[in-house]
Amino acid sequence: MEKPVATLDRGTTCSAWNYCGERLAAGSVDGSLSVLDSRDPSSSSFTCSSKFKAHETGIVKVTWIPPEYGDAVACISEDGTLSIWEELVEGTQPLLWKLCKSFKTSSKVLDVQFGVNQTSLKMVAAYSDGFVKVFELLDPLELNNWQLQAEFQNVIDSVSTFGKASCLTASISWNPQRGEGQESSFILGFNSNTPQLNSSKMWEFDPAHQRWLPVAELALPGDKGDQVYSVAWAPNIGRPYEVIAVASQKGISIWHVGSTPDLDGRLSIEKVALLSGHNSEVWQMEWDMSGMTLATTGSDGRVRLWQSNLKGTWHEQAAFEPTSS
Amino acid sequence: MPGASSDSTSGALVPLLPEAQGAVVYPLHHGLTSPVSRLSISWSRGNSLRISVFASPSVNDSDNEDAGGKVVEVKLGGGDGEISDAHWRRITYGSVSPFALLQSRKNAASGLSKMSMNSSPYNVDWWEYIMEYSKDISALLGNQKSPSNPVIDDPESVIKKGQEPTSLKAAWELLEMFYAEKPSQSWLPERLVDWLADYNSLFSGTHPTVHSKLIDFQKELVNLQVVEDDPKYWEVMSSALAVGWLDIVVKMLRLHGSYQLDQLSNRETENGLVEAVAVLISKMPRMRLEQKAGNLGECFKAKPDFVKAWEKWRAQINKLDSSAFWFQCAHQQTREGLRSMLQVMLGNANSLCTATCHWIELFISHLLYIRPFTVGLESMYSLAQKCIQLKSVASAHRLMRLIIGILGENTEVVLAECSKGFGPWMVAHALELLTTGSDLAEMLLHEEHQNLGGISIEELHRLVYAEVLSSHPLTWQIAPIYLTSCVKQGMVLLQILLSKQPVQHNQLLFKNIEICRLYELDGISSNIMKIAGVYHWKHGRKGSGVFWLQQARDEYRLNRIAQQLFDSVGKTISDESFKQWEGLIQLLGSESKAAGGLEFLQKYRDFKKSLQQVHDGKTADATHQAVESLISLMKTPSTPQRFWLPLLYDSLKLLNWKDRPLLNVSQTNLLLNKLQELSMARLRPDFIEAELPSQALNSVRLALATNLGRAILEE
Repeated sequence: MEKPVATLDRGTTCSAWNYCGERLAAGSVDGSLSVLDSRDPSSSSFTCSSKFKAHETGIVKVTWIPPEYGDAVACISEDGTLSIWEELVEGTQPLLWKLCKSFKTSSKVLDVQFGVNQTSLKMVAAYSDGFVKVFELLDPLELNNWQLQAEFQNVIDSVSTFGKASCLTASISWNPQRGEGQESSFILGFNSNTPQLNSSKMWEFDPAHQRWLPVAELALPGDKGDQVYSVAWAPNIGRPYEVIAVASQKGISIWHVGSTPDLDGRLSIEKVALLSGHNSEVWQMEWDMSGMTLATTGSDGRVRLWQSNLKGTWHEQAAFEPTSS
Repeated sequence: MPGASSDSTSGALVPLLPEAQGAVVYPLHHGLTSPVSRLSISWSRGNSLRISVFASPSVNDSDNEDAGGKVVEVKLGGGDGEISDAHWRRITYGSVSPFALLQSRKNAASGLSKMSMNSSPYNVDWWEYIMEYSKDISALLGNQKSPSNPVIDDPESVIKKGQEPTSLKAAWELLEMFYAEKPSQSWLPERLVDWLADYNSLFSGTHPTVHSKLIDFQKELVNLQVVEDDPKYWEVMSSALAVGWLDIVVKMLRLHGSYQLDQLSNRETENGLVEAVAVLISKMPRMRLEQKAGNLGECFKAKPDFVKAWEKWRAQINKLDSSAFWFQCAHQQTREGLRSMLQVMLGNANSLCTATCHWIELFISHLLYIRPFTVGLESMYSLAQKCIQLKSVASAHRLMRLIIGILGENTEVVLAECSKGFGPWMVAHALELLTTGSDLAEMLLHEEHQNLGGISIEELHRLVYAEVLSSHPLTWQIAPIYLTSCVKQGMVLLQILLSKQPVQHNQLLFKNIEICRLYELDGISSNIMKIAGVYHWKHGRKGSGVFWLQQARDEYRLNRIAQQLFDSVGKTISDESFKQWEGLIQLLGSESKAAGGLEFLQKYRDFKKSLQQVHDGKTADATHQAVESLISLMKTPSTPQRFWLPLLYDSLKLLNWKDRPLLNVSQTNLLLNKLQELSMARLRPDFIEAELPSQALNSVRLALATNLGRAILEE
C-alpha cells in the first residue's frame, strides 16, 4: 500500500517537504544538503537536483521558508548554528544554492520556524539556553537582512527566576492561519532541565506595544514541569476554537484553545484528550491540511494516526510499522 | 478487510473514519537493509502522508551499497480492491456533474420552499431528481445487467456470463432501491430478487452460493449422460428455484432425459410431470412493475390481482402435489426432485433452508414463497435476523453488513458501513440518497456537532472525500465542487488546498487562478500570483516575475524591485547596461495602472544622462535638457514618491547652478510643493525612507529656496 517516492543518500538524518510537496530537502550527517525534485508535476518520483555543503558538522534539522519569500531553507547543524540557503539566479550565473545568512551564537539553535503575515516574514528560533528570539525580514526579496525583533524566555510570568537552563530540544509551531487581522502567534515548548521553561506556551504579538505576550500555557497544574517533545498547531477550517497537540513524557495531549482572552489576557484552554501510543519520546507531530488527522512518530519507530470521532473522543486510527522485507 | 487492497502501485489505502476497535497496524515496506534510526513525516496535499525512513549509519560504511533512506507515500481512505485506478478515476470524474446538478437543484428548491412556507422540498419533482441522480451515478459504476441473450444460445449453458459485477455497484443499487425508490415499496421484495440474481456471485468468494453451485454443476454437465440420475441436478434446480431464477430452472428441467424423442413414449407420465412443474414455474405470479423481456413468471402491478393469482397458483401446485400421477412415475430421482421443487414453491421452510446456502438467499426465498406480501423494513429486518440465525457465517460480506444496516433503519450504521466497506466516495454520494424523504436522517446528518467544531456529518464526509480527491494530481481540480457544497468548513479547506498547489508550471497556475476567480477567492489568488512572481524573479525570469507581482498587486515587492532597478540605472548609465533593463522597464511601465509602474525610469535614464554631461562640463544644452527631464519626472504621476528625494538630491548641482537660476519660479514652486508633500508623507507609517545622507532633505530645501529667491529676482 505504500509507494516509494524517493531514495536518500547515505548519512541522511533529516528531511523536509516544501509548501506544495514538490521539493524535498534532506540534510546529512556530513553537513551536506540535498534537494530532490520531480521532473514534472504529475510525477511522484523525486531525484536529487542539487547537493551542496551547508555546514561543517552534521545537519539536524531543515525547514523550508514560506514560498512568498523564494525557494529557501533554514538548516540547523549539530553545533547549533543556523544558516539560510536560497536557490536563485544572479546575473548571468546559472541557478545555484547560495548562503544568505548564517547565525552564530554562543548557545545552540534547537528549532526554527517561519511565520508569515500580510507584510512580513518572522522567524522564531529557540536556543539551548531557554531563550527565544524573533527575527523579522527587512527586505522581502533579500533573505540576508534580518532584524532581531524580540528576545525572551519561554516563561508565563516574567518574575520567576531560575538557574542556568540547559535545553536538549525545543519545538515551535506557528498558527497556520493567516487571515486579515490575524495577529502572529506561535506555540513553543522545551525539553530542558528547567521546569518553568518546559511547558508549551502560546505567544501572541501585541502590535500596540510591539511585544510578544504569553496568552496560554498548555499544561495542567501538575504537569507544568513536564518536558515537551513536540508541539503542533492544527489548521482551523472553521472551528470556533484552535486545536493544538502537545507531546510530553506523559503522552500526546490534545488542547482546545478559545479565541477570546479573559481580563488577564489569557485564552481559555481545555485538554480534551491524552493519547498514549509511542510510550516514549515523540519525534514529530503533523496535522493534515484539514486539521482532522494528526500523524505522529516517536522512538517506538511507528507512525500513528489519530482522529476524533463524532462524539469528540480521540483515538488511534491506524499505525504503520516500518519493515525491510 | 475489503478496504485494504494489496494493490502495490496505487499507494492506497487505509480505510478512514469508522471507529476502529484498536488501531490496525500496517506494515510499511521501505526496502532498506540497515536498521531504521529515525522517521520523519509530512502530509502532502489531501490525505497522502509521506514518511521518510532514515537508515542507521552502518559500522562498515564502505562495504554497504545500501541507500541511506527511503521516502514512501501512503494514502488514507479511498480506493477499492475490486476496481482499477483508471476506473475509479472515471467514476470520480463522472460523478461530479450529477452531484453538482443535484446540489444546484437542492439550492433552488430550498430557495423556493423559503418563499412558500408550507411546501415541502420533497415534492414529486424531487423524487425524480433523486432518481435521475442515482441512475447517473449507477451508470458510472458499470453495466452489470447482462446486456442481451448470447448470440449462440448454447443449450448446455445454464448461466449467462455478463460483465463482472462489483460490490460497489451492488451497494449503490441497494441504496437506490431502499432510499431513492421509496415511494414504490411494494415492489421491494422483487427488486431484491433481481438484485440477488445480479450480484449473487459476489458472495461466492468466501462462501458457497446458489450461483457457485450452478457454476460447478455447469462444469460437470458436459460429462453427464443422464442428468436426471444425478442428485446434484435436482439439488441445483431446487436452489435456483428457491431464489427465483425461474428461467434457469425451466431451462434445466428441459434437459431432462424424458424430453428426448426416443424416450418420450415410454416415459410419458414422467415427462408430463416434468412439464407440469415447468409450466407452473413459468406461470408463477410476481408482484412487480414489469418483467424483463423473455423472463418467466406473470407480473401483477396491483396487489388484489396478485393475491388472486397467487392463491390460484398455489392451488394448482397443491393439486399437482396430491395427484395420483406420482405413483406412475417410475424414475425415483425425478419423482423426489420434482416434489421437493413443489415444496419450495409451496413455501416449505425446511425445503427453502435446505435449498439455499447463504442467509440472503434464504431471505429472498422467504420473500418469494412464504411472505410475498412483506411490506415495511421492520418485518424484513426481523426476517433477516431469523435467516442469519439459520445460516450464520463467520465473517459478513460488506454488502451483507450494509443490508442489515438498511433493514435496521439505522442511518448511522448505513453510513459507517458505506464508509468502512466502500470508502469516502461512496459516503459522500450516498448521503444524497439517505437524506431524501427522511426527516430523521436529514436531522441526523445535518446536525452540527460541537465536538467537531460545529460541523455536520454530511459536511464531514464531503470534506473527507475532498481530501481524497486533493491528494491526486489528476483529481484535485474537482475537489472544489465538493468543498464549496460545505458551507461551514469547505471554503477554508479549499483555500488551503489552493495555497498548496505548485506555481512553477504555468498551466497549473492558470487553472489555480481560474478556480480562485470562480469562487471569488481574491486574497488566495493574489497570494498565489505573488508566490509565482517571487519564484520567477528569483529564478532569473525577471519579466515573468514582475508580471505576476503586478497581477498580485504586490506593491511591497514591486517597490523593492523598482528600488533595485533605480539603483542600478542610477549607478551606470551606459547604454549597454541600460539595455539589460530596458525591456523590464518597459514591461513595468506598460501597465501604468498596476502598482510599481516604472516608466519613469526611462525618463530617469535620460535625466541621468544629461546630468552626467553636465558633470562632464558639456553645459550648453545639457543643463537645459537636465532641468527639462527633472521637471517632467517630478510632474509625471508615475514617478513613485519615494524617488522624489533621491532625484532632487541628484539634481543639487542644477539647483545650485552658479551662473544663473536654471529653474523659473513656477518650476521651483512645483518642486517645493513636492518636497512639502514628501514631508507630510513621511509621517505615514508605510513611508519608505530613501537611503540618503540625513541632511539630504535640508540641503535640497535650502537649494530650492535659494533658487526661488534668485528666480523671483530675475523675473
